[in-house]
Amino acid sequence: CRCRALLSRPAGRLRARRGLAAGPELHFGFQTVTEEERREKIYQVFESVAKKYDVMNDSMTLGIHRVWKDILMHKMNPSPGTLLLDVAGGTGDIAFRFINYVHSVREQQLQRKLKHHQNLSWQEIFESYQKDKFNSLGDSQVVVCDINREMLKVGKQKAQHLGYSEGLSWVLGNAEELPFDNDKFDVYTIAFGIRNVTRIDLALQEAYRVLKPGGRFLCLEFSHVSNPLLSRLYDLYSFQVIPVLGEVIAGDWKSYQYLVESIRRFPPQEELKAMIEDAGFFKVDYENLNFGIVAIHSGFKL
Amino acid sequence: AAAGGLRRAGWRLWRGRAVVRCQHYPPLRAVQASATLRRASDEHKKEPLTSSSQQHFDPPPAGDQPEQEPQGPRPSYTGQGGQESEDYESEEQLQHRILTAALEFVPEHGWTAEAIAEGAKTLGLSVAAAGMFHSDGSELILHFVSECNSKLSELLEKEQKLVQLGEAEKKPMDEFLRHAVEARLRMLIPYIEKWPQALSVLLLPRNIPSSLNLLTSMIDDIWHYAGDQSTDFNWYTRRAVLTGIYNTTELVMMQDSSPDFEDTWRFLENRVADAMTMSNTASQVQSTGEAVVQGLMGAAVTVSN
Repeated sequence: CRCRALLSRPAGRLRARRGLAAGPELHFGFQTVTEEERREKIYQVFESVAKKYDVMNDSMTLGIHRVWKDILMHKMNPSPGTLLLDVAGGTGDIAFRFINYVHSVREQQLQRKLKHHQNLSWQEIFESYQKDKFNSLGDSQVVVCDINREMLKVGKQKAQHLGYSEGLSWVLGNAEELPFDNDKFDVYTIAFGIRNVTRIDLALQEAYRVLKPGGRFLCLEFSHVSNPLLSRLYDLYSFQVIPVLGEVIAGDWKSYQYLVESIRRFPPQEELKAMIEDAGFFKVDYENLNFGIVAIHSGFKL
Repeated sequence: AAAGGLRRAGWRLWRGRAVVRCQHYPPLRAVQASATLRRASDEHKKEPLTSSSQQHFDPPPAGDQPEQEPQGPRPSYTGQGGQESEDYESEEQLQHRILTAALEFVPEHGWTAEAIAEGAKTLGLSVAAAGMFHSDGSELILHFVSECNSKLSELLEKEQKLVQLGEAEKKPMDEFLRHAVEARLRMLIPYIEKWPQALSVLLLPRNIPSSLNLLTSMIDDIWHYAGDQSTDFNWYTRRAVLTGIYNTTELVMMQDSSPDFEDTWRFLENRVADAMTMSNTASQVQSTGEAVVQGLMGAAVTVSN
């Protein structure tokens, strides 16, 4: 297989695999870099892909990433009044889905309420419409936090273009050091972002800190395929097709080479589950999508 | 694996057969004083759950933390950590608490994840805690059913004690069965509007093993307190008959609109009477059959002589 491997010493590699920077050596794809370099390089990767991020997502995953994100939303099943923190949520995919979902749940709720109050006068029904019109999200809010300015810019433009304004906030922040108080959010999601975090354990601890008691941690990320045949096909596709697509569509071979390599370096499902448990979450579980190409990890702060 | 077995054992738990102390996390995790899983001792002190005694790798600032639990959340790397974990309630117990709190919201929201979310809110947890359960509310319904069953068991146990102490009369069989089934069905009355929805969820293939288990153990309980000690095929027929009576009465109750469900209790009375008659008839048929056979044998002997 065509991997440009500048592999570090096994011990360093082990540390690097767990994302714990006990020493100065970390992985950037299959290269070995220091912690600072890694952060720099990843920032540059996303700075350059920001404008074509969504297009590339669609072409690389043949549009399936939309299904993955929908499944994540269904799993979350947010009720109106939920406060969501979407970390590394750059272009806002999860945030927009959250708003749509809560909106439709709220509408169902209002319809059911109306059915109950069949004996209201017309005046009262009209007044309830007025009141609820300004509460179409039921006080739900989503805060999109990303470390990269360019990604946030693209996200804000998308929001404006699609007409999302209510219940949405954009914050510049680092997942390893969130600019929020303790016990603030009901749900914390990080979709295809935790792979790029340099100190995963810090990010998990921050997630634990900002969640309310009873709050939920959800992580959607590429993971390891155990099926050997599928794994070979997946490797073939990843290393042969994706960087080429990157060059053709976004004019950036290296970023997409990094992407594919970083997926291979990321801890597998069980290891990530252990790390989440170490941060203090309970009832940690994962669900494989597409045989392990993607996995959703879930944990609760109890 | 421990959690799965624990869940199965959890249903038995409500029958008071075994108190299983669950501690399925290794001592290392007890170091993190969790925010919500309270110590069992704290159940007696009504402390607000908002005391977030979490672990930070920095020492927590003394000023702005709300009231800390008296024992203090200091990490203990010694063996004490393992001991402390014994007193913390387990995830299962927390789930039970949430489901119990959710029951009061069922008449309004139905047996749904919304009711569970509201229940979690009353305990001071985030609404996202409802994500621990399945989104169709199955766990809530199963929890309710098993709670009703244990309440019934307690009731029957108390009455049996009274009879043993001589303070009450022992009821005849049909009256006892009627009383037990009526007491159990009365527990449904606060939720009667949403109960048909619950029944349909209980019949989902996924839930059938658990719901069947709960049903059979309840019927078994009733027969036990009724004094059934049969060891032959009667054991099965008795349970089958009572299950039939219970289920049909439940269905009648769903669409009964008479005051205080009089029609349902009358239906129940008739079914129990039928069952008694049937068993009498069965034994009569048997004894008649035996008598006939004896008669024929006698006649044969006479004729041969």
